[in-house]
Amino acid sequence: MAKSTIYAGLEIGTSKICVVVGEAKRDGTIKILGVGTAPSRGVRKGEIVDFTKVQTCLNDALVRAEEPSDVMVRTVFLGVTGGHVESQNSRGTWRLPDGQTEITEDDVEEAKEIARNVAISQDNVFLHSVTRQYIVDGQEGVRHPIGREGRLLEADYHIIHGVRGRIQNAVKCVREAPLEVEDVVFTAIAAAQVVLNRDAKAQGSLMIDIGGGTADFVLYEDGMIAASGCVPLGGEHISQDIAMALQVPYQRAEDIKITEGSCIYDDVPSDEMMRIEDDNGFVLGEIERAFLNEVIYLRTREILEQVRKRCQRHIGRLAAGVYLTGGTSLLKGIDVVARDVFGMKVTRAGSAPVSGVTATFENPQFSAPIGLIRYAQILDQEKPFMSPLKRLGRRMADLLTTAV
Amino acid sequence: MVEYDRNSQREQPNQPALKTCIVGIGGAGGNVLDRITLDRTVDATLVAMHTDIRVLGHAMAPAKIQLGAEMMRGVGAGGDPDLGREAALFSREQIRQAVEGHDIVFICAGLGGGTGSGAAPVIAEIAKSAGALVFLTATMPFTFEGRRRLAQAEESLQQLQKRADALILFENNRMGELILPKDGIQKAFTQADQLIAQSLRAVSTIVTMPGLVKLGLDDLTSALSTSNGRCLFGFGEARGQNRGAEALKRALKSPLIDQGRLLHQTKTLLVHIAGGESLTLLEVDGIMKQLGRNVPDQTHILFGVAVDAKLGESLAVTLISSLGLQQLNSVAAAAPPVEMLPMSSRNMPSVATAVVPGTKVRTPEPTTAPAKAPTPTAVAVEEPMDLLFKAEEISPPVPAARQKVEADLFASNFNATPPPANDIEDDPVIEDEEEEDEPDVEEEDEEEDVEDLETAAVQPPPVAAPVRVRPRIEDFITPTPPPTPTPRSTTLAAVVARAATTVVTPVEDAPYAPPQNNVLPKKQPSTDEQIAFRFGSEEDRGRFKDTEPAMAGGEDLDVPTWMRLKRKLKK
Repeated sequence: MAKSTIYAGLEIGTSKICVVVGEAKRDGTIKILGVGTAPSRGVRKGEIVDFTKVQTCLNDALVRAEEPSDVMVRTVFLGVTGGHVESQNSRGTWRLPDGQTEITEDDVEEAKEIARNVAISQDNVFLHSVTRQYIVDGQEGVRHPIGREGRLLEADYHIIHGVRGRIQNAVKCVREAPLEVEDVVFTAIAAAQVVLNRDAKAQGSLMIDIGGGTADFVLYEDGMIAASGCVPLGGEHISQDIAMALQVPYQRAEDIKITEGSCIYDDVPSDEMMRIEDDNGFVLGEIERAFLNEVIYLRTREILEQVRKRCQRHIGRLAAGVYLTGGTSLLKGIDVVARDVFGMKVTRAGSAPVSGVTATFENPQFSAPIGLIRYAQILDQEKPFMSPLKRLGRRMADLLTTAV
Repeated sequence: MVEYDRNSQREQPNQPALKTCIVGIGGAGGNVLDRITLDRTVDATLVAMHTDIRVLGHAMAPAKIQLGAEMMRGVGAGGDPDLGREAALFSREQIRQAVEGHDIVFICAGLGGGTGSGAAPVIAEIAKSAGALVFLTATMPFTFEGRRRLAQAEESLQQLQKRADALILFENNRMGELILPKDGIQKAFTQADQLIAQSLRAVSTIVTMPGLVKLGLDDLTSALSTSNGRCLFGFGEARGQNRGAEALKRALKSPLIDQGRLLHQTKTLLVHIAGGESLTLLEVDGIMKQLGRNVPDQTHILFGVAVDAKLGESLAVTLISSLGLQQLNSVAAAAPPVEMLPMSSRNMPSVATAVVPGTKVRTPEPTTAPAKAPTPTAVAVEEPMDLLFKAEEISPPVPAARQKVEADLFASNFNATPPPANDIEDDPVIEDEEEEDEPDVEEEDEEEDVEDLETAAVQPPPVAAPVRVRPRIEDFITPTPPPTPTPRSTTLAAVVARAATTVVTPVEDAPYAPPQNNVLPKKQPSTDEQIAFRFGSEEDRGRFKDTEPAMAGGEDLDVPTWMRLKRKLKK
């Protein structure tokens, strides 16, 4: 019988704070019980700058998620991001002691230890160290080396790290809410768990989660995470560019971006005008649509090019192409620009279907928080936890069957 | 928020309200009248007239007159205007009774058929001889209705031009553009009825409603009187948030003013804003400012505001103007050869007389080019009318003195070229007819009171200005320097190089001098010197100026991409 656990994912984004309460079932499915969002204040480029403002917004979002799900959220999986998040691949090599031919658990641990022992800045702290693969005597792609025959064991790791202070600040802010933080997850890793399916990861794909303040990306190759990172540019920069180009307030620029904005400016007739209205609906003036679109295009292209620059080595080996998610991926024409920048298939995707509120998982804005639930579930599956009572029960059942 | 003092628009007890009467003739007129009856917004006597008793039976108007009851025996005129005329003459006594005692008579009819084309001139004449001002609202037939009906309509129009004080003409072809071609024919007709009903309602409201800034018949006629002109009409009503902007948008959307494009060259524009008691000065100000962008500065704006409790939460904007035929032609130059409606100058052969009554012969092929010109027409009556019948036949002789007064009055009113901006001394038509000279003075006094009252609270609002000194558009908009035209080119560099808010004069508008596009108030963001100074400065980072800069390749990514690109190009 499938046992289920309820998890809560929390993402403190630049534009919105989102809490998702989901039920992770043992059979690998997820049911979304409640989603609560609140517009975010006091967050810049994915990092918290104003604690009190964030806590107010966080409580709003929390209440909105708790009400429909009828769950009281105590612990959360916290998604973090920011320009300080970096990643690197590292390999630890361990030569088995003389006379030993079979790889044991201890050998694996040793190899891991060496692999993780990378030089990162003093201020930095590990966010994730994901096992990519083991290499036994030069044979790549080994998943479970324990019990294999070999001389040389190499552990290939992908390490994501960020500045300790900033990550701790986020955790601290949430703790003061007060909520317990069960784990801190890089949002791109979380989002990738629901946006990319097994095939996409195996064929090679790049997922870009373009949010309000940051564009987080994860690149998978041969089913293994190959690169990840964060570009501190996002939807807010697009709005900011519009605001400065048109000399309108930021909020108005944001509205224009959402309602009128598009990255396609080639096909727009050069005399097509667009009205700009003030708060009362009166027309402030007219601007060329092509001009607006070009401003958006330039920034969008830059964001994508920055991502490309950071994973340049892997581009060209991705059969499944680029997956765009996050709020900014809703921008009209962004797929065309991405195709242009990366030269491969581009898919705009939300979360893979989960049960629960349909509108939620289809909306790319919620990819990361739903991904946090999935991440929690995967952690759970990797370390099968059994209560002592259950373990006893199973042993008894075994005994009974053998007796009969 | 400053609200109008609702007491200020109390009706003056000694000024009896103008009595208006709306007469719907024939099928089309009846439909419009039904619409008005249903809306219940016009305070007027509604009379439906038709030859066909069955159609008349369905009419919703409170008063109905069957034309030529004995002669026609309740059967329609069958598309023969002669029969219609005869029938109307037959019932002239009834008609006279119905229209008598009204100051303004609106006649609406669909021209081209039997009853409408035939009876309308007769009724106009009866109303005229009963001492009323006669406004005629008519529709011209669709092209597909055939040439014969068009010819009948034009003949009737000629007769009407001599008899009506003002003529507002709608062309059904043009009305068809209101809706998508694939929509049902019923919807097309309904839409047309609606627009006519709106215009009737608006005009009657404007001239009868006591306003804070009153618009009188004189204003209306001066807005409509362009020699050989056509009426431009736009009406919009909206409620809720942004109702001012919304109502104006709808008014400008009217196909009869071609999305506001035709307003660019009008000399006189009548603007009337009516709202419930919640109408605010801010809204009026906003509407006028907005409108100022659609009309050139030199346009003389006749401006009126009224508070009407009936409107409740909604706000209505009415735009009325007229445009000379030639100007219209220049606008419609791009359109296929325009077959303008013949005005009084052109002589139409009387096709109608040659047609056997009761037979409807429709020429199959429609006229080659659909008339593209905006349709409503205001025709000043200039020629003496050749009476269809002797006035004595139907009405008791009017005292000669009164006739003289009227004749003078109309002559001065309609023969005059549009009055210069501040010359409003001519023809206070209504007041004269009411034999009252005081209202003007009193009105002025009252409005000065209002002004005083408001001066205490806010700046003297232009809307509260006395009637005699009409506010002009210049009072409402702060002049903006004309935009500097920039060379157009499509290269990326050029687009970027253009300042953030470049004004581009739309090319197609050029021949007829559109008003400048007042583009966003701009603080010309960067000149060369400034660039040198401000390169990479905090200013350019906008809302990100407090954050850690995101540097890449020696550039600060928080500075807008277009701005950085522009600088690179400059170097």
